[in-house]
Amino acid sequence: MVSIKKIITRDKISTILFLIIPIVLVIIFIYICIIWNVVVSFSDWDGLRPSYDFKGFGQYQKLFTNEIFLTSLWNNIVLILIFVPGSLVMGLLLAILLDQKVRKENVFKLIYLLPFTLSFVVTGFLWRWMYNVRVGVLNTLLESIGLGFFRNDWIQNVDWAMFWVCVVLIWQYSGYMMLIFLAGIRSIPESQVMAAAVDGASGFQMYYRIIIPQLKAPIFTGFVLLLVFALKAFDLIFILTGGGPGYTTEILPLTMYKEVFRKKHFSYGSAIATILFLLIMIVVIPYLYKTYRREK
Amino acid sequence: MDPKKQSIIIGLIAVIATAGIVGGVMYAILAPSEEGEADVLEIYHWWTSGGEAAAIGALVDVFEGLYPGTTVKQRAISGGSGITMIPIITALVLAGEAPDAFQMHAGYEGIAYYEADLLEDINDIWTDNNLEAVIPDVVQSMCQFEGDYYMVPVNIHRSNVVWYNLKELEAVGVDPKTLTNWTAFFDACFEFEDANPGKDAIALGHAWTQAHLFEQILASQGIDVYENWINGLITNTTDADISAALDILTTFMSYTNDDFDSLSWDEATDLLIQDNSVFNIMGDWANGEFLVANSVYDDDYGTIAVPGTGNMYGLVVDAFQHPAGVANPENSDRWLEVVASKEGQDAFNPLKGSISARTDSNLTLYGPYHDWTGADFASVTYMFPSVVHGSGAPQSFSSELNAVINAFCTGAANKATTAAAIANLAADNIADYTTVWALD
Repeated sequence: MVSIKKIITRDKISTILFLIIPIVLVIIFIYICIIWNVVVSFSDWDGLRPSYDFKGFGQYQKLFTNEIFLTSLWNNIVLILIFVPGSLVMGLLLAILLDQKVRKENVFKLIYLLPFTLSFVVTGFLWRWMYNVRVGVLNTLLESIGLGFFRNDWIQNVDWAMFWVCVVLIWQYSGYMMLIFLAGIRSIPESQVMAAAVDGASGFQMYYRIIIPQLKAPIFTGFVLLLVFALKAFDLIFILTGGGPGYTTEILPLTMYKEVFRKKHFSYGSAIATILFLLIMIVVIPYLYKTYRREK
Repeated sequence: MDPKKQSIIIGLIAVIATAGIVGGVMYAILAPSEEGEADVLEIYHWWTSGGEAAAIGALVDVFEGLYPGTTVKQRAISGGSGITMIPIITALVLAGEAPDAFQMHAGYEGIAYYEADLLEDINDIWTDNNLEAVIPDVVQSMCQFEGDYYMVPVNIHRSNVVWYNLKELEAVGVDPKTLTNWTAFFDACFEFEDANPGKDAIALGHAWTQAHLFEQILASQGIDVYENWINGLITNTTDADISAALDILTTFMSYTNDDFDSLSWDEATDLLIQDNSVFNIMGDWANGEFLVANSVYDDDYGTIAVPGTGNMYGLVVDAFQHPAGVANPENSDRWLEVVASKEGQDAFNPLKGSISARTDSNLTLYGPYHDWTGADFASVTYMFPSVVHGSGAPQSFSSELNAVINAFCTGAANKATTAAAIANLAADNIADYTTVWALD
């Protein structure tokens, strides 16, 4: 028989030690929690009473007849429709601007990326102050430059609150998208750009016909990242509007939080979490599949 | 070596190592500490700001004076209404690590713990200390579940208070004592705005303050209406009393500041202190804002009951309890006795800005505002538990009410939709209404 010493070389021990902790942590805190969440969503557990009676799809049936859940789901869709394309377009525009061989490119990169480095809680408080109707910097600025007639009630406005929330999200994410797109643009062979220039392509044509069509991969990556964030955004909206006015900016994670931690409806909240998980999987699985196939 | 065998051996080593690491960590977390055996009282609360911290400190001083050998460990977790503390307590209670007592609002806020058998009944503390003789009936009900006592109250804040700017009101020739109904109140608002173009008569704040306001307006419709509401009996989507309350709220909103939804409750009160408005409806924790601004009661500002609630006292009550399976059960009981005692309450409440939950407290220790409200506390006909502050209705109802009223105040929902939403909230959560309140 081969001795243990030969099997367990130093390399293998260190590999095991390095892998074991993250694997155990991931299993306990992600996969077991996901499974536990699904189990709870089929029970009547209220968080304190040790009752896990099987209730089948009862919580899910309740979900799809509950007006608050349906409103939150719709708000999530509206958020995706404004925030995802908004961030992609802004990110692309910033990347194109930086691609003009500007001086001090790194300084601009840093400026654009800075919002993304802030925590969402900080961003939430910052913009809540900026949007303040009475003393907020936006209204004060508009007033001081003689554009007082543009004064706005921003996130207090029932019809526009979600839009102004999306503006904050776009502000925070477009710098990150810019980085992804800039890397994509820089990976396009110089020869193609030169050839197009020789053929007389204008700046606009160059981007429209040569560069942007080759950015499919970064656009797809950015799209998936933004979509996943839009589905699970919580902290920023919780701080910025708390879901208000009324329910106008309440999205699924906020509804889930209220159900679980304020009302102690743990199983109902778990059902919302499961729906969110499924929605995110619908986005992520095709992405992973495509990425995996590309690598193969 | 056969790669399969090799993988199996590596796998086995991985499992053993994992078990070792997880076991070690779990032991470190769960092993009983030496501390647990000492004479300790551990309490959790969310009183962290200046006056609040001083108040709980004074209460702890009373306890330590009586039990000098016991070490009191205060775990103060900031976050109004226990927004941060409650999830932590829930986790501790579930893990069997409940502290010896923790702060909660009396009434429905404790029901989840009661239903899960996580609270000990404390009937003997109530009997031994003769508390029923000195604590009002409604407050007694707020401390009970199914006829047994599970909490003792530490203080009472009043919710149905109108704060007014005395100088501004005198300038328009209005006597605050005449504002006993909504018509007179709105006439005064009109007078103020007429005399002060560009100013709003009423200062209002963001979401929960609007629900707080609605609660007071509903009480002004009569104690029977309020009682029906908190008993979950208003389930008609076109209920006339709810409709009347929303009409009053509509008129009210026409006199408020436009930026109400971006102001916190204290920023709204500050509008009144800064002479930018003349009225503010808020619980009596607002008194601290006037004191900080060096405003003098009956000189710079004053108070009346919310119109139509002159014979009522809106209750916001903080309480402590004896959780099941605590490490120091005897100290837990001792703490509850101190909390409920006259000495303890008179040490705590003057600093906290609330009044004692006992009718025999020494009112000379309190300020001029408390002279007024203390006299009312002893003489009003009715008391009603606040819904917005966790006591009067199930959490499934109260936590949604803020958004429903906020939608109405901001114009996101009309009167019919709001009336229907309030009724449906009660109907949809009717199973959670386990307390039957008797307020009259």
